Amino acid sequence: MDRRTMLKGALMAGVSAAVLAHSGSVIAATPADQLVIGMDMSAMRGLDPHELNQLEAAEVAANLYERLIVLPADNLADPQPGLAESWTISDDGLTFTFKVRSGVTFHSGNPLTAKDVEWSLRRLVKRGLAPSVDLKQWGFTPENVDSLITATDDTTLVLQTPELWNSNLILYALASFSTSIVDSAFLADKDKEGDMGGEFLQTSDAGSGPYSLRTWRANDLLIAEAFDGYWQGVPAMKRVILRHLPESSGQRLQIEAGDIDIASRLSSTDLASLDNGDVASIQRTPGFGFYYLALNQKNEILAKPQVREAFRYLIDYEGLANGVMKYYGNLQQTIVPAGLIGAVENNPYKLDVAKAKELLAEAGHADGFTLTYYASPATPEAEVAQSLQANAAEAGITLDLQIGDHIGKFRSREFELFSARSGDRLPDPHAVLQSYATNADNSDEAQLTGINAWRTAWDVPAEIQDQVRAAAHEPDQTKREAIYKSVNEAYLAASPALVTSFQRTDAKAIRNNVQGYVGHSTWLTRWDTVTKS
Amino acid sequence: MSTLQSSPMAGLASASRKLAASLAIIATTLFGLLVITFVVGRLVPADPVIAVIGDQADQETYQRVYAMMGLDQPIYVQFFNHLRDVVTLNFGQSHLTKNPVILDLARVIPATVELAGLAIIIGAGLGIPLGIVAAVHRGKWIDQIARVVGLVGYSTPIFWLGTLVLLAFYARLGWIPGGGRIDIYNEGLVEGPTRSLLLDSILAGEWEVFWSALHHLITPALILGYASMAYISRMSRSFMLEQLGQEYVLTARAKGLPKRTVVWGHAFRNIRVQLLTIVTLAFCGLLEGTVLIETVYSWPGLGQYLTTALLYADMNAVLGAVLVIGLISIAINLLSDVVYRFVDPRTR
Repeated sequence: MDRRTMLKGALMAGVSAAVLAHSGSVIAATPADQLVIGMDMSAMRGLDPHELNQLEAAEVAANLYERLIVLPADNLADPQPGLAESWTISDDGLTFTFKVRSGVTFHSGNPLTAKDVEWSLRRLVKRGLAPSVDLKQWGFTPENVDSLITATDDTTLVLQTPELWNSNLILYALASFSTSIVDSAFLADKDKEGDMGGEFLQTSDAGSGPYSLRTWRANDLLIAEAFDGYWQGVPAMKRVILRHLPESSGQRLQIEAGDIDIASRLSSTDLASLDNGDVASIQRTPGFGFYYLALNQKNEILAKPQVREAFRYLIDYEGLANGVMKYYGNLQQTIVPAGLIGAVENNPYKLDVAKAKELLAEAGHADGFTLTYYASPATPEAEVAQSLQANAAEAGITLDLQIGDHIGKFRSREFELFSARSGDRLPDPHAVLQSYATNADNSDEAQLTGINAWRTAWDVPAEIQDQVRAAAHEPDQTKREAIYKSVNEAYLAASPALVTSFQRTDAKAIRNNVQGYVGHSTWLTRWDTVTKS
Repeated sequence: MSTLQSSPMAGLASASRKLAASLAIIATTLFGLLVITFVVGRLVPADPVIAVIGDQADQETYQRVYAMMGLDQPIYVQFFNHLRDVVTLNFGQSHLTKNPVILDLARVIPATVELAGLAIIIGAGLGIPLGIVAAVHRGKWIDQIARVVGLVGYSTPIFWLGTLVLLAFYARLGWIPGGGRIDIYNEGLVEGPTRSLLLDSILAGEWEVFWSALHHLITPALILGYASMAYISRMSRSFMLEQLGQEYVLTARAKGLPKRTVVWGHAFRNIRVQLLTIVTLAFCGLLEGTVLIETVYSWPGLGQYLTTALLYADMNAVLGAVLVIGLISIAINLLSDVVYRFVDPRTR
């Protein structure tokens, strides 16, 4: 061995030793005043609360910004004061007057006033991007919003609705991440081609929430710091760090090692292995959406009620509930999501291939048929689709299963069978029902592409549609509850073209020393309630 | 020949012609790359508008965003707009990250270059000597070991090996960190000029950051380096075997020169150009091939950026990233051409 080789060897040994010597610091619990969340940030695009439309980004907005109304995670139906100290509703139910809290400051140091609320709500409607539906569906338009939402002084905001809606629907909308209040004075000079600070806000923060944005590198890392001037007191967690860990197994290893406190996107296998409670517990937050099967009514076979009914007997509800859906959904065959008014527990359907065959014979398809079936590629949608394909085969139906991103084809009605999951945010049956059980105009020209029933070309029975509309306008909650119960029954009996099987739940693993991280069904999980022992 | 030697002007003209030819090839390559990526991007089934607005959005929102993204223009207009922007180094905005693509690339490329750089140093540093020693001791135990090591490295999926190493050395033994470029608590302490955490932390004198960065880098770099080593050692072995069979080697040995001098002083000098070529190829391969290890080790590099962009139909990001990978590959190849001229007089 010559001198050069020896030197090289010594150098490599030295580096290795030094690296190993520093490895003592690798495995250590996260600091007591910092919360580290592992998540798949791939789909997280932009942090502008009036533009974003996705669960992970909404959780960030929930903590950077605040809204007039707060819906407690454990009682979503009970609107509580947020930035609005109090409110009154006029006798005719059309005018909402909010007293905006004094003494609240934005992260910039600017005071928050009713003018900021006015500017923010108008901004949401005028920009007209995805989450603007939260106000637009009640009749607000870019043309009328300036006259319908006005700040009469620094602490008073008056909001008028163009028509009468159940007041809860309006209050719930004002608790959504999309109605977050932004710092209008701070954004005044950030306008770019009339975007009202849109480009700036996608990667920055102009809020008054318990946390301010320190660092955001897309698909890598987000660091939020506790806001010293927060009006409800500085949160216990001084920093909250979101780390992009796209692999479920990586998240699992890190939560076991204590490098992250919360793992938010885990496969069912990893969730099951963490479910013994040794290091973490599994939190399942119900969401207001369903795993659904859409049967295109433009297809003459699927348009037959007996065929639609047959498909309900080809889903292995029990097998899925005990298998892949254990962490992702709760069995539900009715249409009002559990936890909301009017929800009932009634799951009469079971896997029954013989019954399905009987129904198919009745429809004149005793020898079966062949159709194309599009399904989402993600877990568990793909597994659910494979299960249906297998059961359908037993009944003589050949489903050409194509797993991939086919949502565009679903929106444009160019499919035969399609399955995926939906997720609404409004904690009221109206949100789900509007999409699944109303279809104002079933013609191709109507282009109601946001409505699942239109996508499926399902001419929903008028009886159901009328009840859904009536309930949204009904001021009395007790009467609404009765209507929704009736809708549930009618939907179940209608052999719907949108077959629901499971209500979605979002599962996260939370380390045992973390308290107060409470999953919020409207995507507004807060970090300022978190403590660590 | 004599005319060329006697006229410096003629030499200059020839060099200019060569340069012009090279530039034309580069321009054609990049244009071809742009066209192919653009066309493939349009064939991807994912809808970029839905990726932005979510699947529940209504038609009015869809149309608004569709127009905002410039998709309402005819496809050739979109392509020429893109071409015009690219010439001015404006790759547009990423629909996913909402940043200008050029800024995103400036962030992710150094991360990948750092990883691929260390990997190729490991791969070449171990692979070349191993291949040569194996060739010299052909058929002996050391050759057998080298072949097994090479075969395993060649045939083991990186994704699997990476996960296995994490499981053993991170989850069980706690020797290595679990992923990312640096410990979270050292985040943001160094943001230097090169964007390589190793170099920047040395420049800033932040040794804690340096060790953290090195510690995070070493495992994925070793795994990638192992895969490159397998390839490089196999190629080195066969190059060397070819040389060892040549008559000049026999002559040198017959003259009584020591084996070491013959191998390293004569034969090795003759395979340097070939080695340079395969190391260059291996490095280019690493730049675009790090995606699996980047996913397993949560490494925020180019591979992960490109894959995510493709999955979500973020075409500005895809086009920008592919073009930059193309540019880097061309630059590396040009650089290796220059290096050839130093190591091999025949190429001058």
